[in-house]
Amino acid sequence: MLRLTRIAFALLVLLVFSACTVGRSIPVARAPAGPTRHVLPNGVRVVVERHEASDVVALQLWVQAGGRDETASELGLAHYLEHMLFKGTATRPGGFIDREVEGVGGRMNAGTSLDYTYYHLLLPARRALVGIDILSDISVNASLDDGQLEREKRVVLEEMRLGEDAPMRFLFRQLYEAVFDGHPYGRPVIGRADLIRVLTRDQLMRFYRQHYVPESFTLVVAGAVSPPEVLEAAARTFGRLPRSGVGRLPVSPVTGARPKNVELVRPGTYAYLGLAWPAPRLDHADTPAVDLLVAILGQSRSSRLTRSVRERLGLVNTISAGYSALEGAGVITLTAQLDPANLARAEAEILKELRRLREQGVGRAELERALTTEEARREFRAETAEGRAFVLGHAETIWRLEEELAYTDRLRSVTREQIHAAARRYLDSERFARVVFVPSSAR
Amino acid sequence: MSGRRALSFGLALALALPTVAEAQSAGVSRYVLANGVRVLVRESGDAGVVAVSLQVRAGSRFETAETAGITNFLHRAMLRGTGRRSGEQLVEAAERLGGSLDASGEVEYAEVRGSALARHWEALLGLVAEVALTPTLPADEVEKERRLILSQIQTREDNPFPLAFDTLLRELYGPHPYGLRTLGRRESVAALGREDLLAHHRSIYRPDRLVLAISGRIERDRVRRTVEQLFGGLRIVAERPVDAAPAPAPTGVRRVLERPAQQAQILVGYLAPGLSEPDYPAVKVLAALLGGGMSGRLFVELRDNRGLAYQVTALSPPRAGPGFLVAYMGTARENIPAAEAGMLRELERIPPEGVGEEEVARAKAHVLGSLAMDRRTNARHAWYLAFYEVVGAGWEFPERYARAVEAVTAVDVRAVAQRYLRRPTTVVLEPR
Repeated sequence: MLRLTRIAFALLVLLVFSACTVGRSIPVARAPAGPTRHVLPNGVRVVVERHEASDVVALQLWVQAGGRDETASELGLAHYLEHMLFKGTATRPGGFIDREVEGVGGRMNAGTSLDYTYYHLLLPARRALVGIDILSDISVNASLDDGQLEREKRVVLEEMRLGEDAPMRFLFRQLYEAVFDGHPYGRPVIGRADLIRVLTRDQLMRFYRQHYVPESFTLVVAGAVSPPEVLEAAARTFGRLPRSGVGRLPVSPVTGARPKNVELVRPGTYAYLGLAWPAPRLDHADTPAVDLLVAILGQSRSSRLTRSVRERLGLVNTISAGYSALEGAGVITLTAQLDPANLARAEAEILKELRRLREQGVGRAELERALTTEEARREFRAETAEGRAFVLGHAETIWRLEEELAYTDRLRSVTREQIHAAARRYLDSERFARVVFVPSSAR
Repeated sequence: MSGRRALSFGLALALALPTVAEAQSAGVSRYVLANGVRVLVRESGDAGVVAVSLQVRAGSRFETAETAGITNFLHRAMLRGTGRRSGEQLVEAAERLGGSLDASGEVEYAEVRGSALARHWEALLGLVAEVALTPTLPADEVEKERRLILSQIQTREDNPFPLAFDTLLRELYGPHPYGLRTLGRRESVAALGREDLLAHHRSIYRPDRLVLAISGRIERDRVRRTVEQLFGGLRIVAERPVDAAPAPAPTGVRRVLERPAQQAQILVGYLAPGLSEPDYPAVKVLAALLGGGMSGRLFVELRDNRGLAYQVTALSPPRAGPGFLVAYMGTARENIPAAEAGMLRELERIPPEGVGEEEVARAKAHVLGSLAMDRRTNARHAWYLAFYEVVGAGWEFPERYARAVEAVTAVDVRAVAQRYLRRPTTVVLEPR
């Protein structure tokens, strides 16, 4: 739950998935060797980990460019660019995924978030070097063909409509907007229809040239591969890109959030309730304590909100807590689907649980369960090469690899007192952002 | 129920008998307990975890309009208390093992599944057996579960894609139970009583209907002893043949639903072969050629070339039979005529025109790649082993299937297209 949920929550507010691979399990016990990290002379970072559970290799290109790097008039550019990188390069015309990836049983996909964009390939391990070549090619040589660019507008507009028809996803977007009011973190990664319609190749090219530079790239390779061969291939491809000399601008500071209340009428039968609080950013001393706090509050079937509000009181159909730690800020969310008649009582009971947590802190047994769950998540995550690559790339891109590798130990060192203090600091039962979707049928 | 509850673990041990039949391949061993429970054990040391899938041949395929949803309802309620533990205690026990415990009713089977850190494999098996064999279905907990299931049914009906998909399967299968939702109907779930659930449990938890699969960092001999203790005591009951289902009768209509939504949904469906039929591999290749990944015809034509959709795909999940092939896309209201015509055109041109060897090769790679990629975690391995065994295809089905897919030619794909892509049944959800 913890780390993975934290990442999954970030994925909820971003988007885009589309696209497979050949592998045969080798039942051999494996000593986890851990990743190796290299920085090429031009600044490209290369993280490699041997992962031998199957002969699939995961290759990911992580780019320090996301929604937060856009100006107000550029909303949606990072995500749009991500779509366009699948359309071909000068030497690799459109349809390369067909020939080089899916034609050999592989898959390719990508995702854009507020802090980063990543491109993800799964290939038979013997094709790893081809994969590195593909990623380095699209990283700077995408054609951004005008005709394709115009056609893709309609696709992205459809993606937008899809997002609005998914109530939970829409709720998260509204919560981010409420908590990060006026800050780039409060804006939709997918952009706005009016801006997408008028987007030009020049704008896109400018964003591409500015942000897709060696200093912002991390190549992550996890699979049954030889690290020296991977490094050599990375040097031959990514290593030849010229340094830009320009660094990324830091995240602008998030100013004290004001309590905000949003109510929207939406189709459907049930109401959706979302509450959100500003929370520590990824690189903050309180992050592990908040992670555990949120786990105990509402991330499993035995967590407090599920037990009380859903099981004992029967006030909600679903309820869960989330913590998304971004590079420059964080957010704690509580979200529920419920009968509109229960809205007031459910919210009152949720706040009662928060006050109880603020007053009495957490118990030993629930903390131990949350920690065991985290230990298990780590093992489960390591089952696939792409799960492992994601965690490594995410840390290298918006945090630090060694922090990620030591994170479980840090969780283990968190005391009940620290969690209690985090509850008092971050879960204000009077000041928070609140978003409610009231079903049109209830009006 | 009472008969099952009487089976204490001690008694089960006393009843355990030597097993019959054994097979072994690629780290997987199969054996059958004396009472008929089939067991599949996959030893893999790659990750420090273990996953269990206990599947019983039951589910919506065996339900009727009156009993629709009973298997899922039963399984959701089974998690809410056993002879030894309350629902809360079960959840906590699983979390202490670093894992999870879940149960549900599906189309072809019902499943009690769990995962844990590998060192807790024995306790995990114990929890799965406890939930499966000694549920108490406390009356108040059954009511809570009923309320939640009714809310899930409502949520499916409120969401455009699930609503359109459920509607299409109803139109496609007519009286055949594959047209029922696993969650059931509102009326059937409201009417089912605790006694019905108990009776259903008695009727399906019979050794001949059960398959237990376990995958992870485990030792098969130790697993075997534990499994015999836990499941060896389950009493053999006289075999009762499975009721034959009424033949499916696709309506072949174009149904329009109007709902408040941003996006229109267009689904076009056909009946297709069951997984054991000789045409099945070629139909899977056909589905991948149409809707697999980013190079399927539907994706290239309708998304890349015409910008009509973000999501466009073809679905053909494994069914004992008859299966289905459904093409799907989501689009803007004003694009419905162009999108629907474009999708039908892509489907209907294949029988007369045929397909190219090159795209067949790409589609085959996609099908084989999907199979390999989907079978990498222990949970997925356990599911695959149990599923193909419980539907009667045999746990090694995926290997046979992969060889059959490799042998598919462009001529085969065209032949199955001619056989199955006839008389489409369509559902269009129009935003109001």
